[in-house]
Amino acid sequence: MADMQHIPNVKMSAQGVNVLYGEKQAIRDVSIEVDLENVTALIGPSGCGKSTFLRTLNRMNDTVSGARVEGRITLDGDDIYGADMDVVQLRARVGMVFQKPNPFPKSIYENVAYGPRIHGLAHGKADLDEIVEKSLRRAGLWDEVKDRLHESGTALSGGQQQRLCIGRAIAVEPEVILMDEPCSALDPIATARIEELILDLRGNYAIVIVTHNMQQAARVSQHTAFFHLGRLVEQGPTTEIFTNPREERTKDYITGRYG
Amino acid sequence: MTGQAALTPHGATPGAAPAPRIAAPTDWRGEAMRRRIARRYAAERRFRLMGLAAVLLSAGFLAFLLVTMVGNGARGFTRTQIALPIDFQRSAILIDPALLTGGNAEQALAGANLPAVIDKAAETAFGENGARMISPAAQTAVRKAIIADPAILTGTATITVPASEGIDVAAKGQGSAANEAAVARLQQAGALSTGLNLRFLTASDGTDPTLVGIWGALKGSLLTMAVTLALSFPVGVFAALYLEEYAPRNRWTDLIEVSINNLAAVPSIIFGLLGLAIFLNLMHLPRSAPLVGGMTLALMTMPVIVIAGRNAIKAVPPSIRDAALGIGASPVQVVFHHVLPLALPGILTGTIIGMARALGETAPLLMIGMRAFVASPPHGVMDPASVLPVQIFLWSDEVGHGFIEKTSAAIIVLLAFLLTMNSIAIYLRNKFEKKW
Ligand SMILES: Nc1ncnc2c1ncn2[C@@H]1O[C@H](COP(=O)(O)OP(=O)(O)OP(=O)(O)O)[C@@H](O)[C@H]1O
Ligand SMILES: [Mg+2]
Repeated sequence: MADMQHIPNVKMSAQGVNVLYGEKQAIRDVSIEVDLENVTALIGPSGCGKSTFLRTLNRMNDTVSGARVEGRITLDGDDIYGADMDVVQLRARVGMVFQKPNPFPKSIYENVAYGPRIHGLAHGKADLDEIVEKSLRRAGLWDEVKDRLHESGTALSGGQQQRLCIGRAIAVEPEVILMDEPCSALDPIATARIEELILDLRGNYAIVIVTHNMQQAARVSQHTAFFHLGRLVEQGPTTEIFTNPREERTKDYITGRYG
Repeated sequence: MTGQAALTPHGATPGAAPAPRIAAPTDWRGEAMRRRIARRYAAERRFRLMGLAAVLLSAGFLAFLLVTMVGNGARGFTRTQIALPIDFQRSAILIDPALLTGGNAEQALAGANLPAVIDKAAETAFGENGARMISPAAQTAVRKAIIADPAILTGTATITVPASEGIDVAAKGQGSAANEAAVARLQQAGALSTGLNLRFLTASDGTDPTLVGIWGALKGSLLTMAVTLALSFPVGVFAALYLEEYAPRNRWTDLIEVSINNLAAVPSIIFGLLGLAIFLNLMHLPRSAPLVGGMTLALMTMPVIVIAGRNAIKAVPPSIRDAALGIGASPVQVVFHHVLPLALPGILTGTIIGMARALGETAPLLMIGMRAFVASPPHGVMDPASVLPVQIFLWSDEVGHGFIEKTSAAIIVLLAFLLTMNSIAIYLRNKFEKKW
């Protein structure tokens, strides 16, 4: 990862992004930059478009029929909606942890090994074993599953499944990690483990996290963006947003007086 | 982090007090509530009983079918035999015993006039009608006996040979008065016995019910089904995959969807006409061949597989596709690594239904000439052949009493084929289900 320093700090940048589901506009003129130094938190009331915006960053909205994305989004300066962008490779480079845990109905091992295998990241069985162990350790799941790697991933509890999905996402070593409420089903210990992981990944990976937990946003992020009704109302350094928000709506939301 | 001190729980909207409830609190222990619970239990009991009754009824029908079929058909697998004494010394078969030890004993015996010898022996033993009591299949039995022990040619031997249709039917209790009398006489002489009719499983169609067998039709069915499966399964699965995973949703795909649904409901005889027009008249493929039969049935089976396949593919949760796409699997990888394995059990269920229907189909095969009389089993998909349901249809049309039990026996073979085919498919389905 030594050559990471030569890459400009801005990893992804979105300019004037609109997302439409058919006639309905879910995201309106959003511009934001994601960099390696700062974890970006997206906050906002339910239905304001956080997931929708997150999904534009790895083009998962392409799979939704009727969804249309306008504006310009770049990864390392390349337009990800451009004609010469390979969307399959883009999604490997920009990994995603979904809002609802969605492990494959395969073994725990296979869940994590699948990504490295299809991208040819492992050289031999031992290498793959190592990737699986490392990824599960980072996701804070290893100790719980190391004796039953060949049982089904869907037989795990909800929180374990979510950590499995995190392990699966980081196993392909993406450059950007998008997390959509990764801790919504986790207990405080597992949550702490994930937050540790995020702090650990920061600097090498660009991280965007959606969360409804204000304390979590305050703990793990350095940059916060507040969404409301599809608009990016306010963004800035996390400390600024939480201590001294410029907008009334932001203040109401983070103090729980949102109506 | 000073901001954290200001955090309060969500949803505390000030000033909007809920309207007070005026209704009395629910009486969970009251009479009305108890009656409601009793009604609920009764409804559940009723529902269970109805389900049980339905299952018992269908099981009863199945048992009735099996009992009658096996009862009638079992006799098709047995035959009446007559112990026939033959005096080879006097019958003057001119044959060199040295020829009988080599590999071409059958040929050597074919030259000798065995049928005449047998008829003569039967007349000697059982009177002037004796020859009519013996089945033409007796030749084979006698030939085998001679090859097994050439020494009998120098003396008299008693060989067990199959009885003729008349005697066979009479012995099984349905013959004419004359034949009943003959059976009584034979029984008195102690010449009558019952044996296993192995010939039924190895021979093909014929004109004498004591000679016919099911093997030709069974092999025809096997070849036809193989062609049907080889064509309809891959085409059906790929069509379903394409329509579900790749095709854009527009008027054209809607039209295709409606057409396929209608195709599955088209009467089978129309597929037969289609096969006749295209495969025989246009492409000039051989008549009565399993290839053409299989192709015609594949036309019929494919829509069933497409419909079942689409439903199975639709049932794969979108979150699995998202998960795979999200770590950079290509659309083809998503389909072959995730969607298809998860949909396979459902696809196989559709395939079982389609193939079972194809196996029992008669009408479209009649249209493409598979009702021809075929006396030898097909060697390949291009040879003329019959199939089980058509064979059953043909035999049920015969007047001879001997064919009635052959018809039932053929039905048993058809059902056994069906059960075997379904068992294999169910085994495969469970195997794929367990994998996850
Ligand atoms: N596939 C879709 N088709 C149509 N509308 C959609 C679709 N997905 C989301 N929407 C709409 O877009 C808006 C934003 O949804 P989104 O899922 O991005 O909200 P969110 O901020 O992630 O909410 P939550 O915090 O509850 O997850 C909502 O009004 C939703 O109804
Ligand atoms: Mg969301």
